[in-house]
Amino acid sequence: MTAKRDILGRVRGGVGKGDFAGRRAAAEAVLNARLRGPQPTISDGLIERFRVKAESLASTVDAVSDRKDAPAAVAAYLSANGLPMRVVVAQEIESLDWSGCAIVSAARGAVDSDQVGVTACFCAVAETGTLMLLSGPDSPATVSLLPETHIALVDTSRIVATMEDAFALLRAEREAVPRAINFISGPSRTGDIEQTIVLGAHGPCRVHLILIGISS
Amino acid sequence: MSAAKHSQAMHFHARAGENVRNPVLQRALQKAKPLFVGKRAKGIAALADDGLEFEMLRTACEGIRNRTLADLDVWLDIFEERAITSGAEVLWARDGEEVGRLVVDIARRYGVTKATKSKSMLSEEAHLNEVLAKAGVRPVETDLGEYIVQLAGETPSHIIAPAVHKTIEEIEALFAKEHGRPVETRTSADIPDMTREAREVLRQHFLSAEMGISGANFLIAETGTAALVTNEGNGRMVTTLPKVHVVVTGIEKIVPTLEDFATLMRLLPRSATGQTISNYVSLLTGTKQPGDQDGPEKTVFILVDNGRANLLGSPYQDMLRCIRCGACMNHCPVYFSLGGHAYGWVYPGPMGSVLTPLYTGIENALDLPHASTGCNQCGSVCPVRIPLPKLMHQLREEQVERHLRPWSERLALKAWAWVAGQPVLYRWLTRRAVRYLNWLADDAGRIRIFGLAPGWTAGRDLPVASGRTFHELYKARK
Repeated sequence: MTAKRDILGRVRGGVGKGDFAGRRAAAEAVLNARLRGPQPTISDGLIERFRVKAESLASTVDAVSDRKDAPAAVAAYLSANGLPMRVVVAQEIESLDWSGCAIVSAARGAVDSDQVGVTACFCAVAETGTLMLLSGPDSPATVSLLPETHIALVDTSRIVATMEDAFALLRAEREAVPRAINFISGPSRTGDIEQTIVLGAHGPCRVHLILIGISS
Repeated sequence: MSAAKHSQAMHFHARAGENVRNPVLQRALQKAKPLFVGKRAKGIAALADDGLEFEMLRTACEGIRNRTLADLDVWLDIFEERAITSGAEVLWARDGEEVGRLVVDIARRYGVTKATKSKSMLSEEAHLNEVLAKAGVRPVETDLGEYIVQLAGETPSHIIAPAVHKTIEEIEALFAKEHGRPVETRTSADIPDMTREAREVLRQHFLSAEMGISGANFLIAETGTAALVTNEGNGRMVTTLPKVHVVVTGIEKIVPTLEDFATLMRLLPRSATGQTISNYVSLLTGTKQPGDQDGPEKTVFILVDNGRANLLGSPYQDMLRCIRCGACMNHCPVYFSLGGHAYGWVYPGPMGSVLTPLYTGIENALDLPHASTGCNQCGSVCPVRIPLPKLMHQLREEQVERHLRPWSERLALKAWAWVAGQPVLYRWLTRRAVRYLNWLADDAGRIRIFGLAPGWTAGRDLPVASGRTFHELYKARK
């Protein structure tokens, strides 16, 4: 307790203001105002912008017209890339017909030996081509982290313009923030050896996105 | 002060000399500089595609950081309250030693034998690896650059590219030894294989460690959240897999809202690596929730002062805005001549030249505020508009006021001040001095070796002036 008292004492001295209660109330008002900084003007459609940005970050992108077509798109990706037809899926998409596409699916958190993880996402951000995943009982964080290949289903109706819009959606739909919000922008990468970019540092080496709601 | 004990900043002069003459280091640095500068320039230029511009965004970012610091006591209070409500524990540490004690206590409480670490510069301030090892806990750095530096038994030489000073041959030798295999001949084409090798070794550590230690790029008061920005995914690993997660971070890292965080994220990755966004941005709040299959059962924040609070309300408060992007060192001619280790403590480059004297004592880092050409490249790229050259100047002034400059310099300045107050003598002396300088020049109008201080012309020529004093030229014009 004394460390806290010492530090806060010094901070208060440095800040040099009285009326803690009044300033605290003002700070609460700032929290409720949710003011935004400068916002980008995104001229392309959100879906197109998301696709272009995601591809620029080394994700690959496919599209299907309906959610029920997603397993077939996953199967096509797996066989085209010589990957096993065995995946770990987040529980939130467990009810899709995986076995109908000859995919063996396990709905659980991922373990080290899982080669492919399939998730949905809470929403996606067009500005940067980014997925927003929330951790939860139906969406374990490990599925998008441990396997070398991460496949994500992205509902095109859930693509928003900015991170601020994503936070607004979160506040509207959830009572509290989850343990982990993970914004994911393409495969894991490092540049730590001679500043040379290599994909697949610790997280997935491949990120494949399947956009849902695009009629061919 | 505990930090001063570990600082090598007083050896700046000697180390700078060694580093300038080290061909291996020079090769590594010369390779890196254009990459850093080019990537940032591209990232900043791309803002225009979205109708944004750097100055507009940095004004917003500067404002967020200033408003937080202006009421930091209030924001810390809100952060602590909300972090606790969400299920985390919040501890406070006055200095690095206290950080070490707290982390070791937690490790003992949870029977921890191995801790995986995501990059945290504050844990370097606290010498946490050393302290953990002494307490029987094996610390494993997992950022690839930090891993390399740890294998070499060194400290990071850059805050976002810790192993920028290492060449591929050096890294190969370290990997061969640690991974128990013969040394091979490696070229740039082998970098993916080497990364793969480290991935496989570190994956086993991620899975077996009982504790994950990370820093935080920001603390978000609104939700009591730690924000972690990484590219490799190691930040996600150490905050998802172990049963205990300890966040070690400075009290100044707070931002009020999620919106403020989003604004800062438009400049942080661009300033650091030129990326529009880093691969992984994780917002971590509380602990594993009912029904969750992963996540830590215990989350502890350690909020560290270690000299920060003293800067509030001081002439150096601007420095607390720093968001640790590394742009200042990436654009610094001094940094790229010497490398980060010359600076002698945790933070190199311009931000280190300001922070090291402030956190370890001005008298323990006398050379650092002088390690500047005054070019202000650092000040002009800083995403939160910290006037770095001005702060270095203030530190120099303070050295003079506190009589910390060497006697020879003090005497010379006294003599100069006296001469400058005697107009006749001053004119007579300066006339002789400029004629001497003019006489030193070669046919091309350059002084190749300056006799009184040959060091000044060791690596450059001094262009010669007209050979007449300002007074003489002024008179002639009239």
